[in-house]
Amino acid sequence: MIRVHGLTKHYADLKRGKLVALDGIDFCAGPGQVYGLLGPNGAGKTTALRILSTVLEPTAGSATINGYDVLTQSSRVRHEIGFMSANTAVYDRMTAWEMVEYFGLLHGMPRDSLHDRMERLFERLKMNDIRDVLGAKMSTGMKQKVSVARTIVHDPPVLIFDEATVGLDVLVARALLNTVAELRDHGKCILFSTHIMREAEKLCDRIAVLHRGHILAEGTLEELRDQHHERDLEELFFQLISRHDEAHP
Amino acid sequence: MNWTNVRLILSREIRDQLRDRRTLFMIFVLPILLYPLLGMSFFQVAQFTEEKPSSVLVVGARDLAHLPPLVENRQFAARLFNHSDQARRDGADRVGLLEVHFARDEPEGPDRKRSNPRAEAAGAIQAGQYDAAVYFPPDFADRLEAFREALRPGTHRPEEPEETDPTAETPAAQGTPSVPRPEIIYSTANEKSQIAFARLFSVLERWRQEIVQEELAKVGLPTSATRPFDVRSADVAEETGLRGAAVWSKVLPILLLVWALTGAFYPAIDLCAGEKERGTLETLLSSPAERSEIVLGKLVTIMLFSMATAVLNLVSMGVTGWLILAQLPQFGPPSPTAAVWLSIALVPVSALFSALCLALAAFARSTKEGQYYLMPLLLVTMPLVILPMAPGVELNLGNSLIPVTGVVLLLRSMLEGNFWLDWPFALPVAAVTLACCLLSIRWAVEQFNSESVLFREGERLDVGLWLRHLLQDRRPTPTVAGAASCGVLILLLRFFLSLSVSMPDGFRGLAVLAIVTQLAVILAPALVMTVMLTTSAGQTLLLRRPAWATLPAVAALAVVLHPSVDALRAAVLQLYPVSEQTAKALEGMFRGAPAFWQLVLVVAVVPAICEEIAFRGFILSGFRHLGHKYRAIFYSALFFGLSHVILQQQIVACLVGVVIGLVVVQTGSIWPGVLFHLIHNTLGLLVAQVSGKVTPQLLDRWPALAWLVSPSDDGMLFRWPVVVASGLAACALLAWFQRLPYSKSSEEERHEALLRASETDD
Repeated sequence: MIRVHGLTKHYADLKRGKLVALDGIDFCAGPGQVYGLLGPNGAGKTTALRILSTVLEPTAGSATINGYDVLTQSSRVRHEIGFMSANTAVYDRMTAWEMVEYFGLLHGMPRDSLHDRMERLFERLKMNDIRDVLGAKMSTGMKQKVSVARTIVHDPPVLIFDEATVGLDVLVARALLNTVAELRDHGKCILFSTHIMREAEKLCDRIAVLHRGHILAEGTLEELRDQHHERDLEELFFQLISRHDEAHP
Repeated sequence: MNWTNVRLILSREIRDQLRDRRTLFMIFVLPILLYPLLGMSFFQVAQFTEEKPSSVLVVGARDLAHLPPLVENRQFAARLFNHSDQARRDGADRVGLLEVHFARDEPEGPDRKRSNPRAEAAGAIQAGQYDAAVYFPPDFADRLEAFREALRPGTHRPEEPEETDPTAETPAAQGTPSVPRPEIIYSTANEKSQIAFARLFSVLERWRQEIVQEELAKVGLPTSATRPFDVRSADVAEETGLRGAAVWSKVLPILLLVWALTGAFYPAIDLCAGEKERGTLETLLSSPAERSEIVLGKLVTIMLFSMATAVLNLVSMGVTGWLILAQLPQFGPPSPTAAVWLSIALVPVSALFSALCLALAAFARSTKEGQYYLMPLLLVTMPLVILPMAPGVELNLGNSLIPVTGVVLLLRSMLEGNFWLDWPFALPVAAVTLACCLLSIRWAVEQFNSESVLFREGERLDVGLWLRHLLQDRRPTPTVAGAASCGVLILLLRFFLSLSVSMPDGFRGLAVLAIVTQLAVILAPALVMTVMLTTSAGQTLLLRRPAWATLPAVAALAVVLHPSVDALRAAVLQLYPVSEQTAKALEGMFRGAPAFWQLVLVVAVVPAICEEIAFRGFILSGFRHLGHKYRAIFYSALFFGLSHVILQQQIVACLVGVVIGLVVVQTGSIWPGVLFHLIHNTLGLLVAQVSGKVTPQLLDRWPALAWLVSPSDDGMLFRWPVVVASGLAACALLAWFQRLPYSKSSEEERHEALLRASETDD
């Protein structure tokens, strides 16, 4: 369960003065749901997800994950989540097995049950052939698999994927989306940010359109289509953004 | 702190480093190869350097015929080279080492006056034609003969030829002709020339001895008459097995520190900046491991590698050195206990350097940027490592309180075998090193907690844009960076002023210098920066009216605190005595017996206003944005202390600065600070004036006074019960100030809110 209320983040920026990355966004995502954050580059998606993963601190507002506050109970929050983004890379000088094991142990899993779970995970994600390959020697797709395994090894109730399909070929991206859908079916609460309409359409149960730190629209895909009388998501997205840009030049 | 996580991170980082080829090379392969290679090249180079002959010009050696021959076969006579150790060191043990050239014969007759062979020889040395020249004046032979004649029986003065120093004038009054003086012309600007000088000097010295012996033989005295006694030397270090300890104790600590630093630096860069660059840091940060656990895990890894580098280097050097030293009998290997002392010292030193490197590396965006920080780090640490090399720097309480330097001095003393003498200094050295370690670790943790450091992005440096931002986006009070730059600016101005102005002599000079310093160096930067960088001078400089009750309380605090500060000053002077020269200069400044009000004006009123506006006004207001009240007070006090001229003042001023800072923060106004400063400085002047008049006679007459003060060499000292009472009373007053409600900066409020939230959570 993710609850976000009035979340705001400012950065100091020489060129633009005070840069408002997030301007008081609110949303709520429940278990068994993929909640999509859809927005163009620089909309504030990564900032929002970094705050939820406790890597950044909000300037104002609050966010809780399964009832734990991201600012004051950050270590409990980190136990509840699995966080994967384009910026969470794989260690070069560690094998796939070592890497996943390392993060499982950091999550405090006992070695025996960890190894059982890893065997099953490696089987499910078809990673047994890269078990002993060092990160530096892996292809992008292999790395992505290791990252997914690392994210879900401790079986967290909340998963956060930030632009997770960036730079992946169609096959790998499709496999990743399938994995996310499976996880949803297992009752996980999933926050999924993307700028690709097709992914949002296929996967997300609810979508929030984020632009320049504001949520422009929020709802299920059907609700959005009905509210804005537009069947095509890409068109809908484009209209929302141009309307906002015209209103706030 | 979850120790399992620390252990997990530690073992992962070690494995990671051991899989890195560059690290392995730097830490394991390089030291093993380095010293044998160095030793080899040393011997190779030594073979070449030993053989170089000096080319020497001899001027006017023509008419030395009736003397023992100086020159044979166009070379110096072989007998004049001896084979003593000294001669070998000077390179004067073989004929071939001096390549002799003769100046062409001076023309006889009227031309003789015109040419100046000495000047020509000097010119040739300057032009680098010869390494050195020996010049016999034209009348050398005649004068020598006359001199010898004068010494023959009848006019005999036996002690004189022995003791004659060739450079000293012989008193003509004694009736002896003056000593003839050949001259060696050389240049200290050229090393080859200096070597040639030493060789020539040795040859001439032998020649002189021969002449003396000849003379002695003529009067029938034995040769041994010139050596009535022989000096032998006995080295006790040889018996205790500490031969060479003096050299080892200087070399080993420095090597240890340099390698501990190098060994810490590269892994630190890889573990922090490298992880940022490779994108794995965010993976780790979003794991359950706390920042402090991550820092500790990385810190211990870096420490282990730092220690391994130092140990391997010393061992490799030791083994190579052992083999080389086996050939130098007068120089022994270090004693086995040295290894023990080095290992003990290595732990805190590595910890300190590792924490420093970790914090720096965490700040760097990339490994490349990280490498740039090595130089500044060396520039800061090396002087502390080299300082103990300076002659006369010895282990004492004062020096043991200097970070790094204390460790080097203590280690040196232990290597020299002075354990029983110097072990008490281990306590302050350990305390200071531990404090520095903790501070550095804290700094590193802070770097890891600061998102602006973790997610720093490369920005184009645009000075115009930056200036515009500085002037346009001003806030009511300055930023932390603004405060720090004001402090640094004041220190720099102060430094350049002190370089360009000579020490004033007398009160007039002092008054002018002090007032100019206060106005131009301290007040002006703060005021200019207030106007340019802030929107509210009143809020920045805290010009608001204080609550009335605080003023008498501040006055009382200043008075009550005085005996404690005075005792502190005395203690500091005991620890770090002022050099005689400085003391004399300081005394000279107050000469001229000015009226007391003039002194108060210069030493109390002007500084109280100017320094308060700068340090407790602009600088403190800026540092308040750090979010920690005490940290802001400490930094402003640090700059305040450093802005004083001599070290002894700086230490005391720093502590007084903390008290004034607290008062100003709690009252929210600069005026209590000004009042405290004014009273504090005036009291100091008063006590200095009175102190000379406190004599035992006076105390006999006023027994009550004897309860308070005791006379000492430098005036009077407060008795310790007075000091203790003063300290307690001051603490009570400060506690009262501490409880006053004060206005917080937005950062301080946020920090406190966070603390409260985490506390209720736990």
